[in-house]
Amino acid sequence: MNIFSEIYGTYFRIAARLLENEVTDEKTVSETVRREGFRDSVLFLPRKLIPNGEDWGLFSRTPDGDLKRITKNAPVKTLTKLQKMWLKSKLSDPRIRLFMDDETLSALEKRLADTPPLYRREQFRITDRFTDSDDFFNEQYIKNFRTALEAVKHRKIVYIEFVSGHGNRVNGKFVLLKMEYSPKNGKFRAYCYLLRNDRVKSSGIINIGRITNIADTGRIFRTPVSIDDYFSSRKCSSPAVIRVTTARNGVERFMLEFASYEKHTVRDLETGEYTVELWYDRQDETELLIRLLSFGPVIEILAPQHLRRQAKQRIKRQAELLQQLR
Amino acid sequence: MAGFSELIKNFDKTRDYVRDFFIYGCKVRSDFDRKSIRTYGDEKRRVESWIGDYMRYDDSVRGRSVSISVDSGHIPENPLYNAYYSKSFTDNDIRLHFLITDILQDGKSRTLKEIVDVLNTDYGMLFDEQTVRNKLREYVDEGIIISEKQGKALYYSLTSDNADSFLQDFKGLDDALKFFSETQQFGIVGNSISKILGLKNDLFFIKHNYIIHTLEDILLPEILAAMDEERYVSFRTFSEKRRKKGSVPETENQVIPMQLLVSVQTGRRYLAAYIPTLKRFSAFRLDYMKTVKKGKICENYDALKAKFDRNISHCFGVSFGMRREIGTVTPMKITFFVDEEKEQYILDRLEREKRCCTLEKSDENLYTLTADVFDPNELMHWAKTFIGRIVRIEGGADSVRERFYSDIARMNRMYGGDEDEHIQ
Repeated sequence: MNIFSEIYGTYFRIAARLLENEVTDEKTVSETVRREGFRDSVLFLPRKLIPNGEDWGLFSRTPDGDLKRITKNAPVKTLTKLQKMWLKSKLSDPRIRLFMDDETLSALEKRLADTPPLYRREQFRITDRFTDSDDFFNEQYIKNFRTALEAVKHRKIVYIEFVSGHGNRVNGKFVLLKMEYSPKNGKFRAYCYLLRNDRVKSSGIINIGRITNIADTGRIFRTPVSIDDYFSSRKCSSPAVIRVTTARNGVERFMLEFASYEKHTVRDLETGEYTVELWYDRQDETELLIRLLSFGPVIEILAPQHLRRQAKQRIKRQAELLQQLR
Repeated sequence: MAGFSELIKNFDKTRDYVRDFFIYGCKVRSDFDRKSIRTYGDEKRRVESWIGDYMRYDDSVRGRSVSISVDSGHIPENPLYNAYYSKSFTDNDIRLHFLITDILQDGKSRTLKEIVDVLNTDYGMLFDEQTVRNKLREYVDEGIIISEKQGKALYYSLTSDNADSFLQDFKGLDDALKFFSETQQFGIVGNSISKILGLKNDLFFIKHNYIIHTLEDILLPEILAAMDEERYVSFRTFSEKRRKKGSVPETENQVIPMQLLVSVQTGRRYLAAYIPTLKRFSAFRLDYMKTVKKGKICENYDALKAKFDRNISHCFGVSFGMRREIGTVTPMKITFFVDEEKEQYILDRLEREKRCCTLEKSDENLYTLTADVFDPNELMHWAKTFIGRIVRIEGGADSVRERFYSDIARMNRMYGGDEDEHIQ
């Protein structure tokens, strides 16, 4: 039992896809390989599928030039022991309740009764998750989550009442684009557009845990929306530019911690220092600032000026506090 | 590049490269001095092929620099899963995979000989019994095929569990797969189910998403099994730092595994373990580990685990520090200024982020956090996110407090104090 096995591999999967039909042709082979393969698969895979003396022998050539599979049936989509063990582990994850009702969960539990879990939850410990995670056992939360998820799937216009991060009560009609989960916060949020007179007024993010009421209006938002446009509308206008020094293993620590950001790095060959441009969502600016400050003098915020200014103000205030202390 | 293949045999080697491209984000060919130029070229081409749009090139004076820049909060699928989907195989592997499962699809059980005969008569493929037996054994281990003894003969049949029927029978499984395929740990396994079902995640994005962790999942089954069986594990650890210093970059370790520690903020995962030779607990970075192997049974596992459970409650992060016993260092106390009227959100932050520490109001607008932790350095990394509010630090180690004071002085100079030298 191994995760790194050819039975899950891209080549096997493409072959299985092509073997679904009794007869196929070279064009379909090429198209499927292009669509589902790696970038260079088209150079390697078709010649192993199309009869030519060096192929795998999974297809034979018909008199009219098509390709006939040598198998009698479409390939089975068996679940391996590893895949069932993974599913079994997920049964003890509270978030599974967001997707399946109790009856379905019991049925799945029964079906996997003889399967051991791939891991037990207590074998892992998250050391730094915030304690105010969403309550995945709360029935109202589950109901709100499911309504929001349905709205995302079908672009339904939903009426939502929620309490904002600043404690204000907000309501309105929204179209929900995607759900976001943060392992750090243990929270789900929905990317959304606020609608006024059926037109997009502004973009936003709503914490599912802050929703007090969500209702389907029965209407679909039919105007095409692009998730890329949504992200662009929220992105910083210029990246944070950070100088990362080599002290205290700074480069490795920094690059790993900020690995999830889109970035551009340049290394100074003489000093070994890195200059990193980080692109971030504007609403996460404070989070970014405090994370940068936690690196102390190992890094320096070079730009944008307003971010550097905020860092400077906080540091100056801190220096003054310590002055009083000593 | 004659002989190039998209597929790989050795996951560890690829893991090494992807990690370097991904983490350092700024590597040129000459940085990979431990590898041949040919290997570098092949690995780079493979990673390009898997990661496609996410690879980024920059021309630098030392040659072309390669990096993977992924805004991983805004991607539907972890592109590094492709490393797992690239395992090399033989022609016979793929032939036997589709033919044996085709033969057994009618639900009947067959002996090895019967399967070999059908392969020959119905499919025109000649295989020796040993080759087919090995493949059947392998598939029994994978759970694709079930073997059952009837009399003296072993009969093989196909498992009845298939992905389509699961999807049909368990409402909501499709959405659960889309979500869990992108979350830790073993998201790759969920993704492999989604792939056979043709499901694509069109619903979820994961914020603070450390996609590189998937490459470490390869190590976990052996570690988890060792924990379940209360065994030692041995593994090699490598360190870039040691390599740069010119010392032996790899060391051999033998430990008793306790728990896997995951940081959702720093992008690191660790194996917390007991080191018998040092008689202490420690945490090993998973991304520095290679070739994990289960060892002998640990006779006093339960006692060690009980001790570990007590000790871990004094770790702010993952460090067990250098203290032999709890209590030899005075608990650290940090007092924060919080404007109670206007800054409830700061109090909320302290509450939700304080982990094993306690927080109490010590005066008007002042809140004191008490931390009885093994390694105050870990605490201070977090405390620096409150720069501008730290009124007092007491206890802990002198060196930790002094470092904080000097860091603030250095930062104050760096950002110019009253005059910012970097702002023109």
